[in-house]
Amino acid sequence: MQRRRKFWFAIAAILPTFLIFGWVRMYPIAETLRLSMFEWNLLSKNKLFVGFSNFRELFGDDQFLDALTNTAIIAFGAMAVTIPASMILAAVIYHRTKSRFAGFYETAVFIPHVVSLVPAAMAWKWIFDAKLGPLNAVIVGLGGEAQPWLFDPVLSVVCIIVLVSWQTLGYGVLIYLVGFRNLPKSVYEAAKLDGASGIQSFIFMSVPLLKPITLYVSVVTLISGFNVYAQAYVLASDTQGAPGRLVRVLVLDMLENSFQNFRVGYAAAEAVILLTVVLLLTIVQFGLLRQKGGK
Amino acid sequence: MLKSLRRRTLAKVAGLSAGMMMVGMVPTQAQDVVIWGGFPELAGYYERVAESLSDKYPDLNVIVEPIGLRDHEKRVALGLSSGLEDATILELIGSTANRYIVNDLLKPAPDSVQDFVNDDANFEPFFQETATVGGSVYGVPVFRGQGALFYNTDMLAAAGLDGPPKTMEEYSDYASKLTQRDADGNPTVSGWSLRLSGGGGGIAEKFWINLHQFGGSLLDKVGDGYKAGYANEAGLATLRQYVNAVSGDKTVTVDMPADAAAFQREQTAMFIRESWVIGDTAKKAPDLNYKTTLLPRGSIALPVNLYVSGGTEEAQKAAWDFAIAANQPEHLIWMLDNVGWLPNRSGVDYASVTEAKPQFSAFVDLPDDYVFFTLPSIEPINEILTRFAARLVDAYADENLVGDDAAMMAVLEAAAEETNTILDRASILAK
Repeated sequence: MQRRRKFWFAIAAILPTFLIFGWVRMYPIAETLRLSMFEWNLLSKNKLFVGFSNFRELFGDDQFLDALTNTAIIAFGAMAVTIPASMILAAVIYHRTKSRFAGFYETAVFIPHVVSLVPAAMAWKWIFDAKLGPLNAVIVGLGGEAQPWLFDPVLSVVCIIVLVSWQTLGYGVLIYLVGFRNLPKSVYEAAKLDGASGIQSFIFMSVPLLKPITLYVSVVTLISGFNVYAQAYVLASDTQGAPGRLVRVLVLDMLENSFQNFRVGYAAAEAVILLTVVLLLTIVQFGLLRQKGGK
Repeated sequence: MLKSLRRRTLAKVAGLSAGMMMVGMVPTQAQDVVIWGGFPELAGYYERVAESLSDKYPDLNVIVEPIGLRDHEKRVALGLSSGLEDATILELIGSTANRYIVNDLLKPAPDSVQDFVNDDANFEPFFQETATVGGSVYGVPVFRGQGALFYNTDMLAAAGLDGPPKTMEEYSDYASKLTQRDADGNPTVSGWSLRLSGGGGGIAEKFWINLHQFGGSLLDKVGDGYKAGYANEAGLATLRQYVNAVSGDKTVTVDMPADAAAFQREQTAMFIRESWVIGDTAKKAPDLNYKTTLLPRGSIALPVNLYVSGGTEEAQKAAWDFAIAANQPEHLIWMLDNVGWLPNRSGVDYASVTEAKPQFSAFVDLPDDYVFFTLPSIEPINEILTRFAARLVDAYADENLVGDDAAMMAVLEAAAEETNTILDRASILAK
């Protein structure tokens, strides 16, 4: 009897959380799945059921395929930059823990993660500016040729990868620092006695031991990379005088289809595909890293 | 006893919470009127209009909330579909407003407003039509976007050019002569600034303005339907001019400073834009020597109207009165003089402004055969422009297209096919 009462008490205690979670997280996902099967212009009272026709149209839509490709390149590019860079930076900061500048290093690396995105992107827009930007000034100063960073189809994607990596780096460093602080010191002492150098210890011990951290950082980076939007929007914004090439990414395409083209069902189908891609990649990442490093 | 006390406490807490929620739901003021605009430079104009209504509406609280046009369009889409609490005046281009009207999200204006708009002494039929759907007036015309060529007189004189270009062939010729280059031949000042990059449908809209000069149209109306109208000689001439400018003559490059800011900084010699540039230049580059001239054949005209939605009946009345007050001559003259947008109301003497700022003459002194076009009021217009713009960006940057008319026509035909597919999906493709 008492067990039963405890059970119901636990249910009652957890129910509000479940209800809120269901309302704010699960219901929108379910509604998006439902809407992806309809043709709806956001304004009309009627929604026309079209089955999978939105999905069929998407896979023949060059603009969507372009957005999907760009988004995937940005997400994987940002991950490829962020993981090694944040691990190395975290290692350097960790081994300088006793330095009086240790706090400064951590703060300096973390600041981009908390800086408001729009002003940061505007600053980067200036850095990448073909005519007035300091990046081209340095390149030309070193004897190179100025590049149209924000206008070239390839370079404009690179610019977004740099911006996304710059933002996520601080978070990655912070998580890796926690990982470094929890690594067993005895293993390193033993390695040192065996004659391992610092770099060897890092490559053959830290990297494998930090695989759970790498899994977490890679999942977070990849998901945030697939949700890239504001960076592409601001770098190509129509500010008077200096627009740039619009790198089409999935979220931008969805917003355009929803609120400018009034094709909500079509945009919902894009959202479903984004959800599926991110979900599959996360499962693969977990599988790969658990298989090799989780033992 | 304890249970009863708990219940009473619970009831009090629930009552207090419900009361607080209801306080939050009560409209802030009976005569609060919000203005949602997509042209931030007009904030001062609306504030002036609000001040002029202070005698008639001492309690009127006008809240002006302008943001960038693209974000404004998204805000209106969300606001109207989910309902607006306060009486809200919406600044909308007629073609954009149409989709809300056909979905019953905007109501017809009151009779007094209908009479004001339908009075031929106030507005020409072109502007009345953009505010009317199915015989009912839904909005009050205010101002319009209309293009003209801006040119730097010092640069033209330095290049030995007497007056502005008159034909599209001359535009290219002038652009070559006006382009300034460094020792390696790279352009440092563009001869004619063109819209070559950026987001949204603006690139296609600018292409349409040039296409219009060659006698073409992005969309042709055939009966009750539409079809792509640019995969033809006029479209080819337009695209050829762009491609030559970027990759052939190199009178402009995609990464050069562009638009009004470049013109004001003397980084370009010519460009086509709306009249607001005059007001903007007066503030940012008052010493710039420039003139404006008519486009060879005609211009785009995008009339912006004021619509009202949400709020109490009393607040809506105040909002409609505001829309009419916004058309009072003193406010329109102030707008033309200080902001530079062209008012739509007829019978107002703008001479004091046009005499002091002769650059306005290319916007108001128009020959009878000057041909206007506007964006059609069809649901997929934005999608058509955006998708065509994406193709144009790639075409402009493709050096291989120079001198290859067949390849350029292939680009136009592929784009036209896409446009027609969109029209077909919306069931408005002409047979």
